[in-house]
Amino acid sequence: MSTGDAMSTGDAMSTGDAVKAPVLSATSLVKRFGHVTAVDDVSFELMPGASLGIVGESGSGKTTTARILAGLEQPTSGTVTLDGRAVEGHSRRARLRQARRLQMIFQDPYGSFDPRQTIAQSIAEPMRLHAPGSRKEHRARVDELLDQVGLSSRAGQSLPRDLSGGQRQRAAIARALGVAPRVLVLDEAVAALDVSIQAQILTLLDDLRRDTGISYVFVSHDLAVVRYITDTAIVMRHGRIVERGETEQILRSPRHPYTRLLLDSIPSPGWDLDRVARDRRALDLL
Amino acid sequence: MLAKKTPAREEAPDGGAGTRRDALGISRLSLAVGTGESEIPLLADVTVRVGRGETVGLVGESGSGKSLTARSALGMLPRGARATGGVTVSGVDVLAAGYRELRDLRRTRVSMIFQDPRASINPVRRIGDYLTEGLRARGVPARGAAEQALDLLGQVGIRDPKGAMGRFPHEFSGGMLQRVVIAGALSTEPELLLADEPTTALDVTTQAEVIGLLKEMQRAHGTGMLFVTHDLDLAAAICDRVYVMYAGRIVEESAGASLFGAPAHPYTRALLEASPSVHGGRAEIKAIRGRPRALAEAPSGCAFRDRCPLAGDECAETVPAHRPHGTSLVACLRPEQVTP
Ligand SMILES: Nc1ncnc2c1ncn2[C@@H]1O[C@H](COP(=O)(O)OP(=O)(O)OP(=O)(O)O)[C@@H](O)[C@H]1O
Ligand SMILES: Nc1ncnc2c1ncn2[C@@H]1O[C@H](COP(=O)(O)OP(=O)(O)O)[C@@H](O)[C@H]1O
Ligand code: SF4
Ligand SMILES: [Mg+2]
Ligand SMILES: [Mg+2]
Repeated sequence: MSTGDAMSTGDAMSTGDAVKAPVLSATSLVKRFGHVTAVDDVSFELMPGASLGIVGESGSGKTTTARILAGLEQPTSGTVTLDGRAVEGHSRRARLRQARRLQMIFQDPYGSFDPRQTIAQSIAEPMRLHAPGSRKEHRARVDELLDQVGLSSRAGQSLPRDLSGGQRQRAAIARALGVAPRVLVLDEAVAALDVSIQAQILTLLDDLRRDTGISYVFVSHDLAVVRYITDTAIVMRHGRIVERGETEQILRSPRHPYTRLLLDSIPSPGWDLDRVARDRRALDLL
Repeated sequence: MLAKKTPAREEAPDGGAGTRRDALGISRLSLAVGTGESEIPLLADVTVRVGRGETVGLVGESGSGKSLTARSALGMLPRGARATGGVTVSGVDVLAAGYRELRDLRRTRVSMIFQDPRASINPVRRIGDYLTEGLRARGVPARGAAEQALDLLGQVGIRDPKGAMGRFPHEFSGGMLQRVVIAGALSTEPELLLADEPTTALDVTTQAEVIGLLKEMQRAHGTGMLFVTHDLDLAAAICDRVYVMYAGRIVEESAGASLFGAPAHPYTRALLEASPSVHGGRAEIKAIRGRPRALAEAPSGCAFRDRCPLAGDECAETVPAHRPHGTSLVACLRPEQVTP
């Protein structure tokens, strides 16, 4: 019916040559808010099972990019292709189709849970929308999901306010996984968590990717976290991509002065604050 | 006026306990709210010392009691809290001090900066007023106060200090406003600066600048600094000594630099192993099971035992006393199994 349906060749490919075709690609994305250009000509591809980091400081356009990918924001220009089809339109049908393939996780999952529903009910909700099955089947799947993210069934019967931040983030991940999406977009998903809980979520995400072949777009200001959870990364500044490549390569030998500044700004034993000042001057000269 | 301040002392930061009085001495501080059955313990047996000119870190996960400890140095206890133990700032017994004495202490000898600079500045007053007010309260005449404020803004790297004096807080970015707060905090040339996550809300590059500024100002004034953070890397990078807190107690005290090489407490090691790093080889991270606890919900004996891989039966019996191990003071029965 929609133009997208006519060219669903991507779906056919996903069984055979899946490895070759990106599951998600962004082409020349631009987003303007009034006279602010939040995202300025951003392009990248995400292969099935891969994990891409988007790093940069606050205001660099990471969240806006993530929201465009998730269909929560319309780009001023440029296209997003998901699973071989251009993401178009804001109709309910288009959004549902999108949500079945791509789910988003936010920094504070509290706001995305209905405060009056139990965690288990919230997890079942997208499933009811997207996955056919009886109530009983859904309930079994919820138990499976809770288990997969390391939550007890007691936690499943709790209200969101009775869970810790780490538990809520697990619940958000469980809910997203319920529709078996091909891509998770995570925006600062571990930024608000304590180190020990952050490590639990990071290792969980790592295991999930290995076990299910899901792909991540991992948005974070934290280079150490991005190093752990991604294979490739893009570095954004003022809405533009200033560097891209394999994450490890970027960290070991950054080419752009801004990436260098970011790296040298991270505290470490023997931290050289004069070097940070030099980096900044080099960047200002650009 | 900054130049005529006595220079920071030259001795090793950990050496001067005897000769000059410390900027801060907290000894065996315990805090609780509520009474009888409903008593909630918040801190237990917290001992923290900050020498003159020394930078001391207080690290731990949320709810471990870092902010409560730092605020106690200013006599800012939770409503209805009961305290035992001692808190001494520049020779003043804070727990016994009255309202006026505490007010004078805050005006002259102790300053505090918080994570959110907007919380410490009145949004409807101009930056200039914010700075001169503090100076005036300290007895500086109006003219001199304005000059000093201008000078301070220049020192903390605010471009166009004259223009900045007339502007309101919302006209500054978070990083710039935190500089203004630092200027205010150091304008009274305090002996002690309490910094509670002062850079947590800032971008890394801004954090690096603000830390550089703090360290420089602190050196110039000989100010002792208690630096509260949940970031171990940051603490180890800038602190002479670091205290690690868990569930309302200090579990380890260590020289800043050796925190990484030779952690003595299983919790310190676990935190290090759970933190991804951009430096060195790409290492696996190890999650710590369970979640951090407040003192009131911690198990008896060693509070870390329900999460500790080394825990044994004797860990449940009593709260481990602090004892020296390597360059650390550690509250654990088996530090030799952490770092031999
Ligand atoms: N006024 C109060 N009444 C009761 N409990 C309190 C009060 N103030 C703090 N607490 C509790 O004391 C514990 C320590 O709090 P504190 O603010 O010192 O933690 P923190 O280490 O600074 O944590 P964060 O990293 O989250 O800032 C927490 O469990 C907190 O809920
Ligand atoms: N809804 C909006 N209206 C106006 N400006 C916006 C909106 N969303 C984001 N911006 C602006 O776009 C830029 C990029 O923001 P954002 O994508 O949130 O950055 P990041 O996530 O990297 O911190 C910023 O200048 C921000 O103020
Ligand atoms: S005392 Fe026992 S439980 Fe506590 S940290 Fe040491 S080994 Fe672990
Ligand atoms: Mg963002
Ligand atoms: Mg705190």
